[in-house]
Amino acid sequence: MSPLTLALPSKGRLMEQAEALFARAGLNIRRIGSERGYRGIMEEAGIEVAFLSASEIAQSLKDGAVDLGVTGEDLLREAMPPEDPRTQVLLRMGFGPADVVVAVPECWLDVATMADLDEVAVAYHQRHARRLRVATKYIGLTRRFFAAKGVTGYRIVESLGATEGAPATGTAEVIVDITTTGSTLKANHLKILDDGVILKSQAVLAATKMAAAHPSTAALIAKLSAAL
Amino acid sequence: MAGRTPEEREALSQTGTQVLAHFTNAGFQHISPDILQPADIFLDRSGEEIRARSFVFTDPSGVELCLRPDLTVPACRYHLTHAAKADQESRYCYCGPAFRFDPETATADEIDQAGLEWFAAPDREASEAQVLALAVQAIEAAGVKDFTIRIGDLGLFSSLLDSIAMPARWQRRLAHQFWRPKAFHELLLQLTGSKTRTLTTISPRIDALGDGDAESFVEETLARETLPLVGGRSIAEIAGRLSEKAKDRKATPLSAEDAKRMDAYLAISGTPETCAEQIATLGLDVSAFNRRLDLLQQRGIAPSRLHFSAVFGRSLEYYTGLVFQIETADGTQLAGGGRYDKLLQDIGSPVPVPAVGLAIHTEKLTMASKS
Repeated sequence: MSPLTLALPSKGRLMEQAEALFARAGLNIRRIGSERGYRGIMEEAGIEVAFLSASEIAQSLKDGAVDLGVTGEDLLREAMPPEDPRTQVLLRMGFGPADVVVAVPECWLDVATMADLDEVAVAYHQRHARRLRVATKYIGLTRRFFAAKGVTGYRIVESLGATEGAPATGTAEVIVDITTTGSTLKANHLKILDDGVILKSQAVLAATKMAAAHPSTAALIAKLSAAL
Repeated sequence: MAGRTPEEREALSQTGTQVLAHFTNAGFQHISPDILQPADIFLDRSGEEIRARSFVFTDPSGVELCLRPDLTVPACRYHLTHAAKADQESRYCYCGPAFRFDPETATADEIDQAGLEWFAAPDREASEAQVLALAVQAIEAAGVKDFTIRIGDLGLFSSLLDSIAMPARWQRRLAHQFWRPKAFHELLLQLTGSKTRTLTTISPRIDALGDGDAESFVEETLARETLPLVGGRSIAEIAGRLSEKAKDRKATPLSAEDAKRMDAYLAISGTPETCAEQIATLGLDVSAFNRRLDLLQQRGIAPSRLHFSAVFGRSLEYYTGLVFQIETADGTQLAGGGRYDKLLQDIGSPVPVPAVGLAIHTEKLTMASKS
């Protein structure tokens, strides 16, 4: 059997915390080539390592380009809904907590729930002759969550940074974004809807269907679980 | 699909030509709406959901375009561009592909359609009867004899809502949730008071407002809490909804009897004549419904051939009145259509334009006529 490939984040806190956990589990990653190399090997586990950006990891799992991956659940679920048979989450790793939430301007004193937002969307369309806009980088998560809540009359505006500023700058009325403490939202005078938490995310180890059944994977999970 | 063979192409084009000839003989002008359409119109009309089912892309200058997911909106745009006045009576027909993506199977579909749209017809029921009759005749002319005609009438549901005394906001909410049976039922329970209202984070605001003036309440609250007015809605819009919510608390709940009437209406299905009697006993005016049946009979379509269902049309948010669908015995949808009186205004007409139309799936019709 050829060795499995594990994708790890190539930079940032997610990378540091993942490497620390692997080290505690006695799994050292030896980088191949230069210090900045993008390949590595975990000799104890017989697993090859590829360093990718966190968002590429979800897509690579989806495409089957890697077998295992550590990434944020938010990014994984953005690429694939939980019922997608191609991958499964094997381990929740206990770091990188963040919620993906629906937030509206605090000045909307009349809006507390997704049902309110649905009504506002209808009224907004009638009054302004255009759809309420939702700024987000989580297009897939937003669409699925809004559809499940029965909210249809809105448009997504793709936002690749500083999403929380969109209502103030007038590029969107509502946002779907990630938050840890809520302080950025508060500073931008936004509030999370009562039933507006789309996902309570953290770092996860996910595997393709094939890799989930692989013997090396079981050994890896056992060591990581013990180190958690 | 990797393309059509010469025989398949010929058969499909023949079906299209025959259906179109049938429509042009009835006085409909053959037009060719654009395949490339501005995405905005579709997204603003149908909301984000359409994006998941359409091919939306950006042109080199950055404008969002889409491959037309249907031909109705493109025909409406054609009309608004070419007609001297938006509410000038016009009859158009067309034939060509529409492009849709099926998110569940992740496949692209090219759907060949021949259809017609009739704008600002002076006689509502007569135009509806003729449109439905044209669909039936086109299918019969293709040699398909075994099919069912399902009809619904969204106008009847609106008149049911109008007949019940309740705050305008409740009526809007019920009309909006009609498309989602589960949410509709929940809302009904809430409005009849059978379900206790859940407290939300804005409940204290509504308590604080009480009978007071909502606009000054909103202004004062924003000033006191130094909340900037962002997000595109005015103080009046926010205050308007807040005061409706406050009034809701004092409004008499919907009576159990009225809720029962709504449930009773939604349960009606069967032959249209029996249904019309049942609808009449609920106190609704069925004269237009019966007149439409008479006009269909005159065009050779006996009411006994139709199957009415009060909930039919629940998945087609854009219709406002008659809605119909023609299916083969195995459930293949050959044609569908109905009345959509709000669409032209939604996409830019300065005046309301009543509209009724239909589309026939020429590929499915070709296959059905061979079997």
